[in-house]
Amino acid sequence: MMNFTSHSAAETEAIGARFARMLRPGDIVAFTGGMGAGKTAFTRGMATVLSPDAEVSSPTFALVNDYGGKVPFWHFDMFRITTLDDLYSTGFFDYLEMGGIIAVEWSENIAGALPDRTIYVDIQITGEEDRVITIGSRRKGSEGNK
Amino acid sequence: MKLIALETSAKTASAAVLTEGKVLGTASVTAGLTHSQTILPLMEALLKGVSMELSEADGFAVSIGPGSFTGLRIGISAVKGMAQGLSKGCVGISTLEGLAYNFQGLHYTVCPVMDARCGQVYTSLFWVNGGAPRRLWEDMAIPMTTLKEKLQSVEGDIMLVGDGAELAYGALSDTGKVLLAPPALRYQSAASVGFAALSHLETEGFIEPAQLLPAYLRLPQAERELLAREAMQKQSKG
Repeated sequence: MMNFTSHSAAETEAIGARFARMLRPGDIVAFTGGMGAGKTAFTRGMATVLSPDAEVSSPTFALVNDYGGKVPFWHFDMFRITTLDDLYSTGFFDYLEMGGIIAVEWSENIAGALPDRTIYVDIQITGEEDRVITIGSRRKGSEGNK
Repeated sequence: MKLIALETSAKTASAAVLTEGKVLGTASVTAGLTHSQTILPLMEALLKGVSMELSEADGFAVSIGPGSFTGLRIGISAVKGMAQGLSKGCVGISTLEGLAYNFQGLHYTVCPVMDARCGQVYTSLFWVNGGAPRRLWEDMAIPMTTLKEKLQSVEGDIMLVGDGAELAYGALSDTGKVLLAPPALRYQSAASVGFAALSHLETEGFIEPAQLLPAYLRLPQAERELLAREAMQKQSKG
C-alpha cells in the first residue's frame, strides 16, 4: 500500500504520472472513489507517460477510449455497466488478454469481474481540493472500499 | 461443393476450405486477439494456397458463439460481408459443437468447456460414436460446480475439450470420470466448424447472411452478483 496526499487536480495528475512509470504491459488499474474525486485527472497524468499525445476524457458514453501508446493504453468507464452481459458487450474481457494497460473508472460496478492482478487506486475526497490517494493490490472478493 | 469456414471465437483465428469429407486447406494464427487484422489476409493466403477464387465458394460457415465478444463479431461480420457480396449462403455453428467435431469419427462422450470467467463455464455435451457428434445437452452457461453435478449422472468417461478443458479437468478430476483432450484436439478449429457445417447441410439448407447472428450465452448467476454490488454502490453514491 502506498498513500499520497494531493491538494489540487494538477498534483493528482503528477501522482498519476509517477505511478504510470511503475506499470508493466498487461496491468489493470481500477479506480474507486466518488464523483469528482479526480479519477480522470489521475488518468490524464498516466497518459502523459504512456501516451503523451492522447487527449484524455472520461469515456462515460464511449465506455472505452483508446489512447494508443507504445503499449496500448485503454481507459474504461464502468459507470453505466450494471450487469455481466453489459460488461461482456464492452469487449472488456478481450482487452484483458491483449497485453495493454487498462485504467478502469467506477470499477466498483465490475468488482466481481476484475482479475487478481488488478492494482487498485482509491481516491478519497478529504477537503475541497484535498485528496488521499491509496494505491495497492487487494485479494479478489474482499470489500476494500467503504 | 466447396465451403469456406472461419473460427474467431477465441485466441486463435483460423480459416479452412472444405469439400465433401475432406479439408483442402487450413490456416491459423494465434497472436493475440487481433482477428480484425489477421482473418482476411489469412483467408486470402489460404485461398491462394489451394488455388481457389473466393467466388468459387458455395457457402460460408462460421462459429457463432459462445466466445469472445469481439472475436465472434469479427468472424460473423466477415462471413456476412462475403456471403452477401457473392450471394452465397451461410451456416452458423455453435462454438461448442465445433469443438465436439474435433472428435468426429471417434468414440467418446465429449464435453466442450470454455472459460466464461467469474467461476462460470460455457458447456454442452455430445455423444460421438464413430460418426458425427450428436447433441445431448443444449449450450449453457453454468457455474463449474453445476457442471460437476450434471456430469455425475452421465455414464462412462467424459472427454473434456476446449480452452476451459484444463480448468475443468482440475475441478472435475476427483470424479474419476473425466479425460483431458490432447492439445492437438483441444482447441477451436475452422476445419471442425466446416465439418459440423457439412454435416448440418445434409439435412438443412444454407441461411441468408442477414439471418446469421451471434449466439451469446447469458450468465444468470454472475449477473445477479454484479447487480447486487451496483445496488450497494448506488446507495453510497446517494
